Amino acid sequence: MRRPRWPALLASLVRLNAVEELQYRANFVASVLATSFWIATALLTLGLFFRHTTRLGGWDYWEVVVLLGVFNALTGVIESVLRPGIGQLADDVKSGALDLVLVRPADAQLFVSFRRLDLWRVTDIVLGLALSGYALIRLGHVPTIWQSGAFLVALVAAAIVVYAIWVALMSLAFWFVAVENLSVLFDALYEGARYPVSAYPGALRFVFVYLLPIAWATTVPASTLTGRLSPVTALGAAGVGAAAFLLARLLWRTALKRYTGASG
Amino acid sequence: MPAAISAHSLSKTFRVKVRDPGLSGAVRALVRPRYREVQAVREVSFDIAPGEIVAFLGPNGAGKTTTLKMLAGLLYPTSGSVQVVGFEPWTGGSAFKRRIALVLGNRQQLVWDLPAEETFLLNRAIYDIAEPDFRERLAELVDLLRLGPVVDKPVRQLSLGERMKCELAAALLHRPPILFLDEPTLGLDVSAQDAIRRFLSGYRDRHGATILLTSHYMQDVTALASRVIMINRGRLLYDGALEALVARIAPTKRLELVLGSPVSAESLATFGAVHSYRFPHAVFDVPREAAATTSARLLAALPVADLSIADPPIEEVIRLAFAEAPEPE
Amino acid sequence: MSTATVWARRYGALIRNAWLVDLQYRAAILLWVLWGVTEPAIALGIWWAIAGAGDVAGYGRADFARYFFAVMLVNQLTIAWDSWYLDRWIREGELNFRLARPLHPAHEATADNIAYKARSGTILLVVWLVTAAIWPAVRLPLDPARWALTALAVLLAAGLRFLISFTTGLLAFWTTRATAIMELHAGIAMFLAGRIAPLALLPPPIAHLATVLWFRPMLAFPVEVLTGAVTSTPELLSGFAAQVIWLALWLAACRLAWRRGLARYGAVGG
Repeated sequence: MRRPRWPALLASLVRLNAVEELQYRANFVASVLATSFWIATALLTLGLFFRHTTRLGGWDYWEVVVLLGVFNALTGVIESVLRPGIGQLADDVKSGALDLVLVRPADAQLFVSFRRLDLWRVTDIVLGLALSGYALIRLGHVPTIWQSGAFLVALVAAAIVVYAIWVALMSLAFWFVAVENLSVLFDALYEGARYPVSAYPGALRFVFVYLLPIAWATTVPASTLTGRLSPVTALGAAGVGAAAFLLARLLWRTALKRYTGASG
Repeated sequence: MPAAISAHSLSKTFRVKVRDPGLSGAVRALVRPRYREVQAVREVSFDIAPGEIVAFLGPNGAGKTTTLKMLAGLLYPTSGSVQVVGFEPWTGGSAFKRRIALVLGNRQQLVWDLPAEETFLLNRAIYDIAEPDFRERLAELVDLLRLGPVVDKPVRQLSLGERMKCELAAALLHRPPILFLDEPTLGLDVSAQDAIRRFLSGYRDRHGATILLTSHYMQDVTALASRVIMINRGRLLYDGALEALVARIAPTKRLELVLGSPVSAESLATFGAVHSYRFPHAVFDVPREAAATTSARLLAALPVADLSIADPPIEEVIRLAFAEAPEPE
Repeated sequence: MSTATVWARRYGALIRNAWLVDLQYRAAILLWVLWGVTEPAIALGIWWAIAGAGDVAGYGRADFARYFFAVMLVNQLTIAWDSWYLDRWIREGELNFRLARPLHPAHEATADNIAYKARSGTILLVVWLVTAAIWPAVRLPLDPARWALTALAVLLAAGLRFLISFTTGLLAFWTTRATAIMELHAGIAMFLAGRIAPLALLPPPIAHLATVLWFRPMLAFPVEVLTGAVTSTPELLSGFAAQVIWLALWLAACRLAWRRGLARYGAVGG
């Protein structure tokens, strides 16, 4: 009887991966440390605001921490999927690498968006949700099934809205090829998602809700989780997500048509 | 006349971290790193007179660039001594740096986003070149290197050959007596390589500069340098005139064929010494003088899809010349 | 040719070069400037809402507005990115040719900073002037003495931050995490240098730490001079003294790091 070869093969694959993992372990630890540091900084900032007030836009401290957790989870999505994928579009247009993508039979937008993942940034998502969970405990609020479900829907919708914003911004790369740091535009805008929309004075609030709807990214999911907004809002969020996605898709196709020189 | 460059028992040893294979090795490397010593340059000695063009020849990793860096003052020797135009490079300071130029083949110094002209103006200020000298030297270099149409285009729009010519111009504006070139013809097409070699030769004739270049192309030596210093695995193997070296090595050329349809090994052997044959690639080693005629015969008799004639690689030359076994990769 | 002329020509050429390169990247620079004002703008928004009709530790809405506009301008005029450049130069072999020529790389770095700040500072100054035309809250008196003192404080702060950034970049001779250390410093500076709030709003022990260390000298002090929060002679003198002292200390640290780093570079190569 022949001994099966696959156990030995499996063992060496595991060993090989473990050796590689160890190399990346240092990076992993560094990444977790960095995220923890920035979460701590954000909490300290919040602490500083709350040293001089009891409510921020009507939210109390732990409610805002829930939002901070959502912010971090969303950052994890951005850093693990969006920035390495669609975030590189400006470079690809400039270097001509996009042409190689367009030749493939797969949908270009899909391919560009998901070709590269920074998997260890997923820890940001875990840390963020853990922070929200802890804040909920401190609030003494246990979300109902409906609220939790609504939260998940709103969170996914938020991720889609953020993705749509990235697509829209990156489509600008087709027009402004020389601008190498388009992603900085997103970073600037995203800063506004750190705090509940109601914390901003009137004009800024208008901008963040209607013009550059970054408010939807964090305020709405956090609100459904804490019960500020009824679970039904999640349907609205889903609608906004879908609309954002379609708009972005339209913008992408227009930009692509212009790039490839097709009429339209 | 005192030597322009003189090295005596020059040695350089690097400490490199050792990583054992396997999981426990990876852990150990993190926790308690071990080092081993790599002798990049071993007791290399030579004297170069002013106005000589010398080629440092050797395979990759032989220690050429490390030696060059010690001569340029970027690394300090582990032992031994080196003098360049009367200075010890490592401690020479500004006075020393004004007397040398360093051009690295794979790392450019021109400002990428601006025309080469701007780098020239920058160098004028950095090296404190007087205005009339600058104008005169710039005109000469632009003329010799045929840079007229190219100096006002952004460097990123230039071809590799044009860029290297501009690099050379930028490096020579302060008319240094010593010029260090690390792999200057790397990646260039044949005509660009040729132009640069002719320029360097002409420049030395006009201004008496001492030129030291590292290379792993035999043609850099045959076309340019009168003297070859051959280095392998940190050791100096040969220092002398090129003709003597050529006489020492088996005077062969390498013919590389791509065959259109299979041919028997025996029939190949009738044309000359077969180095290797794996269809569709066949490689011959033929005497230099016979290279052209043998090629003609091959083209006429066999279904040849492609044929190229080249010097044997440097590693072969070393092996043939010095009976050294090739380094295991 | 006298030494002064030589250096004037060198800096002239270096700054001209940097200016021309920045011109090529002017769109990207505009985006960086935009990103730079986002943090203070959002902080202003939050404090504005918190202050309401009253004030927070003596800062009313208009005070916050002036403070954060001052932060935007002073930050842009003092921020230094050199740790990132040095880190790249050292790791990617771009230091070699700089070491082989008779010019210390710090001069190129300084000239880059001057060109960049002239450009981005002008942009922000114009933005501020335009905003001040429509929004009275951000107006500052055109008192020449105050602006002269601010200019001096900004100059010292810019030098200080340059040295901090350059020295941190030199750590790349020893570690691959030099930029991480710079980010750590930036995170701490967010509080201690007064980016997120005037130092008066911090818990007193923290504010004291900021004053005793180099954080207030590097940003908060010039901002306070500009907004008029610091006017008395003893306060000004102690503020300038702190800047000069920390400038000297960081210069010493920079020189030490350069000497040691270069020795290590000469040993292990790059």
